[in-house]
Amino acid sequence: MASAANTNLNAVRETMDVLLEISRLLNTGLDMESLSICVRLCEQGINPEALSAVIKELRKASESLKASENCTN
Amino acid sequence: SSSITELLGALCDSSLSGVSWKRRALGGLSREGFCRALKRCAYGVLLSKLFQDGTKGSASGPSATANTPPRNKVLMICFDLRVSGCREEAERLEEQLERLPEGESSGLKEVDAVLELLVHLAGSSPPPPTSF
Repeated sequence: MASAANTNLNAVRETMDVLLEISRLLNTGLDMESLSICVRLCEQGINPEALSAVIKELRKASESLKASENCTN
Repeated sequence: SSSITELLGALCDSSLSGVSWKRRALGGLSREGFCRALKRCAYGVLLSKLFQDGTKGSASGPSATANTPPRNKVLMICFDLRVSGCREEAERLEEQLERLPEGESSGLKEVDAVLELLVHLAGSSPPPPTSF
């Protein structure tokens, strides 16, 4: 039982490493933390296209916040 | 495993990394308040996409690549990279795609959905600076 769980954990790790490398080559801007969150959201049934739109909106919002920070400096 | 609400909250938090909140708090803008606004925005986008999905067929019709498997979409990106002279990147991408396990052997339930997400986000971030 424990060995089956270990095998699955290793498979997940390996898959995540490959997905992160693909993500990096595609310049998606996702780091391992946000990629892990996205994987879990996809596993919960969230539509990938909708999720990509959410990520782009969140980026816009945080970038405008950072830009306003630079203006006040 | 976490709920969608918790995961969206975590996504909002991670998008705010690198923002300084000490001085902002003095101006009345707190991290919690901004995070709440981000979550509202995230749910707004998700819901708008949900309704778009329901009307897509009747309004504009499905796009040519709507039913293309995500692995094929990545291969199409590889082709575009080659055409634009980025042969090395195309080869690395093809190599990684070959390494990506399919179905249950990946340990994930939705590996193709994740790949689809990566395709949608492709090029949304500037490429890393090249070293000389």
